[in-house]
Amino acid sequence: MLKQNGLDAVSLEVQWGRLISIMDEVDIALVRTSFSTIVGESRDFAVIMLDRHGRSIAQSQLSSPAFTVTLPATTKHLLKAYPPETLKPGDVLITNDPWLGSGHLPDVSIVMPVFSDGTVVAFVGAVAHVADIGGRLDFFDARDLYEEGFRIPPSKIIIGGVENDQLMRLIGANVRVPDMVIGDIKAMIGAEQLGAARLVDFFADYGGGQGFQNLADEILDRSEAAMRAAIAGMPEGEFRYGLDADGYKTPLRIEVAVSKKGDQVHVDYTGSSPQFTDASINCTTNITFADTYYPLKCSLVPNIPNNEGLFRPISISAPVGSVFNTTIPSSVKSRSKSSFHIHVAIYGALSHAIPDLVQAGSGSFWAMTLHGTNSDDGSVFNVHILPNGGKGATPRTDGLPTVAFPYNGTVTPVEIVEYQAPILVHHKRLVADSGGPGTFRGGLGQEIALEVLGQTAIVASLRPDKVRFPPPGLMGGKAGLAGSYSVNDEAVDAVPRTLQPGDVYRMRLPGGGGFGDPRARPLADVARDVDDGYVTIGDALTDYAVSFDAAGDARRSTQPTE
Amino acid sequence: MASRYRLGFDVGGTFTDFMLVDQETGTTFLNKCLTTPDDPSRGVMDGLLPLLDRAGVGGDDVDIAIHATTLITNALIERKGARTALLTTQGFRDVLEMGTEVRYDIYDLFLQKPELLVPRSRRYEVTERLDKDGKVLTALDEDGVRAVAQQLREDGAQALAIVFLHAFRNAAHELRAAEIIAEELPDLTVSISSAVAPEIREYERMSTTTANAYVQPITRAYIDTIQRRLREMGYPRNLYLMISSGGIAGGQTAKDFPIRMLESGPTAGVLAGIHYGRQMGIGSLVTFDMGGTTAKIALVKNYEAAKSNVFEVGRVARFKKGSGLPVKVPMVELIEIGAGGGSIAHVDQLGLLKVGPLSAGADPGPACYGRGGSLPTVTDANLVLGYYDPNFFLGGAMSLDVEAARKALETQLGGVLGLSAEQCARGIYEVVTQNMLAATKVHIAERGEDPRKFFLFAFGGAGPAHAYELARLLHMRGVIVPAGAGATSAAGLVTAAVSFDYARSLLGRLDRLPWEEVRRVFDAMAEEGLQVLEGAGVARDAPGVVVKHQMDLRHKGQGHEVTVTVPADVIADGQIDRIAEIFYATHREKYGHAHENLPLELVTCRTTVGAAAPEIPMKRLPEATETADVAQKGTRPAYFGELGRFVETPVYDRYALRPGMLLRGPAIVEERECTVVAGPSAGLRIDAFGNLFIDLDEAPIAESKEARNVETERA
Repeated sequence: MLKQNGLDAVSLEVQWGRLISIMDEVDIALVRTSFSTIVGESRDFAVIMLDRHGRSIAQSQLSSPAFTVTLPATTKHLLKAYPPETLKPGDVLITNDPWLGSGHLPDVSIVMPVFSDGTVVAFVGAVAHVADIGGRLDFFDARDLYEEGFRIPPSKIIIGGVENDQLMRLIGANVRVPDMVIGDIKAMIGAEQLGAARLVDFFADYGGGQGFQNLADEILDRSEAAMRAAIAGMPEGEFRYGLDADGYKTPLRIEVAVSKKGDQVHVDYTGSSPQFTDASINCTTNITFADTYYPLKCSLVPNIPNNEGLFRPISISAPVGSVFNTTIPSSVKSRSKSSFHIHVAIYGALSHAIPDLVQAGSGSFWAMTLHGTNSDDGSVFNVHILPNGGKGATPRTDGLPTVAFPYNGTVTPVEIVEYQAPILVHHKRLVADSGGPGTFRGGLGQEIALEVLGQTAIVASLRPDKVRFPPPGLMGGKAGLAGSYSVNDEAVDAVPRTLQPGDVYRMRLPGGGGFGDPRARPLADVARDVDDGYVTIGDALTDYAVSFDAAGDARRSTQPTE
Repeated sequence: MASRYRLGFDVGGTFTDFMLVDQETGTTFLNKCLTTPDDPSRGVMDGLLPLLDRAGVGGDDVDIAIHATTLITNALIERKGARTALLTTQGFRDVLEMGTEVRYDIYDLFLQKPELLVPRSRRYEVTERLDKDGKVLTALDEDGVRAVAQQLREDGAQALAIVFLHAFRNAAHELRAAEIIAEELPDLTVSISSAVAPEIREYERMSTTTANAYVQPITRAYIDTIQRRLREMGYPRNLYLMISSGGIAGGQTAKDFPIRMLESGPTAGVLAGIHYGRQMGIGSLVTFDMGGTTAKIALVKNYEAAKSNVFEVGRVARFKKGSGLPVKVPMVELIEIGAGGGSIAHVDQLGLLKVGPLSAGADPGPACYGRGGSLPTVTDANLVLGYYDPNFFLGGAMSLDVEAARKALETQLGGVLGLSAEQCARGIYEVVTQNMLAATKVHIAERGEDPRKFFLFAFGGAGPAHAYELARLLHMRGVIVPAGAGATSAAGLVTAAVSFDYARSLLGRLDRLPWEEVRRVFDAMAEEGLQVLEGAGVARDAPGVVVKHQMDLRHKGQGHEVTVTVPADVIADGQIDRIAEIFYATHREKYGHAHENLPLELVTCRTTVGAAAPEIPMKRLPEATETADVAQKGTRPAYFGELGRFVETPVYDRYALRPGMLLRGPAIVEERECTVVAGPSAGLRIDAFGNLFIDLDEAPIAESKEARNVETERA
């Protein structure tokens, strides 16, 4: 363990730490110079350092997880178009092709080569979700890629230090907010330049380009070994799980077969839905792989900083033309409507192999947008609210209430919503009995009711999920309560709709699934849940077989109740 | 002047530090004793009486007594506060539990949030509603409040937080509800959000108000006890308390807003840095306070500490942002790194050497303490590297066991890594330095600053042993180790001034806000502050009284604000263009650009009202008539990474060093509470006040690399 490639435990720790700290500086530089709030505040981006083969070595600690997996793949595609030996100092590469990049057009990848003694020895790359990329606004209904905006094939955005003015103008001419988009692209390039300069300093301190490659190899090898060791600890076999998800107009079927052989995992998606032609919820393989890898990393090696060594033992396959291996030019903008369910299927399969390291289904987030005009001053508002359902239970924890998974983001405060839009929020509260019953209970979902004030109608776009198919439980745990929504207490369909003044829009986000047999849940936990109103007395009896006597003491019926 | 002494005492986790200073001559008296957690006032008296004795001073000679304490922070971390309830607007009691809905660790399936201060069964709701402008939509249901009072009585609640939506725009409902509760339950302490944290964003306001309520009963009792003890000792005046924003406030203010005293000890350390900086004419400092479990870093620019308006208390995942309870109060911004003398080294899943964030604390402490600790720590490493004298730890009050340290290094790390005890020790030193380096670098970068413009102001038990290396790697201007580095926080207390910060959210586009309302908000805050000053015996027109106004502004559509300072006359005259200019300039400085085509939005108004800082001279020491040789105690082998080997290093007695003396690195300078370690490219000098400066030459990088390679081969 001591000296592979001549790097001891201390040098490796110190030098790896320095690489991560360089990327943290790049991250700050990007936040500081970016123009859009998506990059600056929502943090929908990643900054990554790669070796000369385009393999990821380190990234900023706050980098968005899916991007840290897609960018190395994107970089290798870029290097096919522009082999490293053809690159010159001052060249910078770009693409937003969903099949080469992060699965939809708004995610722009930019990669800069770093030179030492005249040859390419590393890359600094960034992916960011830019504020606009053209295309139709009702993007759920996009029928193909061409309706979704502007596609940039692998190109040089800077050529030998000179900006590619034609490409910049083309991009600017095809997006709704050119200043922001071009501003963000330039901010990405500027941040990468800082990273490249820091890396050159690093080369000077630690053995030049070859020293860096030795370090990179060591990081990759040790990480790979750790992932392989974790996989090797799993039982051999093929583990299957199937799941229905709401999809958009029609439901989506997800079938996974997780095969563990020795120290490798392969995930196959055969049996999943064919790609959709009436909904932009298709996934390119880059994004399928990223969302396959994420739950595996969480279970097996949560504490190792991401790098490509961790990806190596994991592979995927999905039939060409299926929702998880969609073909050009399918529509892909709303891919997360499919990809965010992948972890549920993987954990379902893995519950047969490593039941101690999985999680039941989560309620996840609904993206809601309210758009309209203030009747008092005629100003336009556009408010995004991202409320979450409950998190799934695990083999040792109840699910947290109302928390994001697998996406991570902040909900808009009620006071901010009411300030920004003519809306009155009637309540925002936890929903009793919404957590899936289990030995460990699923996290509670929430109900939000909002009333339209003022004199003008507004457009509300809600992207509900897990309304038809609730987050499933695991190992005998039950599903969480499905989501629902209504206008003035009447059920409505999911498309964006106009709300009139006085209308009350009510949404109930799903609870997380439970884990393990609910009748094995300790009495004290059931009693505490009832005391806190997380579970009603009625459900305590039906779901947990727990009743309360006149003194309020809990006892479990010996007969299973149905 | 009859009462010419200022007294500061800081009750920390392990030690209580005292400083008594003569305001006329600058003569100081220090003391240090063990904190007595069961009744901290006992420890205070234990240390204070001998100190006064030594100085020949009576209680009445003390002009002002200023106190900092970890009581509030500890009560929150250890969940030892009052049985607290929460009353909210109908439909919103769960906001406390739902929070921001974000995960602080994206890969941890099992992550847990901090335990709630108020369980759902003690969270009540009442019918009432204000709109975003504070207009009443639904009147307060007063009978509903009385019904809640009845339930609080039955439940045995000791404290209550009242948080209504939009109460920062109109406090009437909260005030009325508090009044009704007071009629029904006169002994219950009540905190209302419109007084504690009148800022927009209901979750953060609720969390802050709840935390305030939670610690209020114990804080009241505590302050009364300390005040009584001081009276018994002959000090007839009011006790003052250090607050998180760097000022001091009277006992009543502290009892009303105990949450404002979070981190008061560490904040005092930053103030000390500013005070020393003034004497030396150095306005740009990074203060570096490294103790047993953490290192704390703060940025001082132009004699002002960087501030922030939000803090997290009691992080459940150590040092992970987002894993604590958010508290929205003005604070001197301190970043905390899990790196202290007690930080434990271990080998991780990948076979790498990691240091911290777990700490051996004071008990059992590092292996070398010989108190049963068997895990290797930073202190053990420093001892093996020759930085500490085993017989002169805490001035000889405690002896260290080198063999125990070596054994811990060998058995816990050496075996797995195939390294000797010395190599493990070097590794620990290098890794803990890298951890602090990365965090400091990132923090300075976030502030848009350049470390090369700053001096490192080092104190705390372990700070001076690590400062040279940290400053060298950051290419800083140099290191300052103040005289009396062991009681630096107490020095910050005696030099602090009465000051308080106010905030009120008032949202609207700058060009559309009714300006008389903006003016009214600022005037009200200034008036409140001036009254607090008067309560503290400072006339509103006294020289040096400062009223500083700030606005949190943003481009319309942005999610977060930038705080800018706005001159009072600009606010009075409603010069919107001037405010916009100030904002754009600040935004450009901070982020490199500004969108001058976007309208601006005001979010929160802030006002700081403060008295002039006391002018306390620093005592000049006589110039040296001899060279530093007279202060040398001896030599011992110590390891320096720059040289890649142990070298026989001169050891000096800090107390024998005199102004004008010059030393060459490598050198070790010992004082009771800490040891200064200066590497081979250091030049050391003592200034007229006894402060130690370490000048850094360009580090001999090439040499160090060669040395490292040689060592690696040998390994």
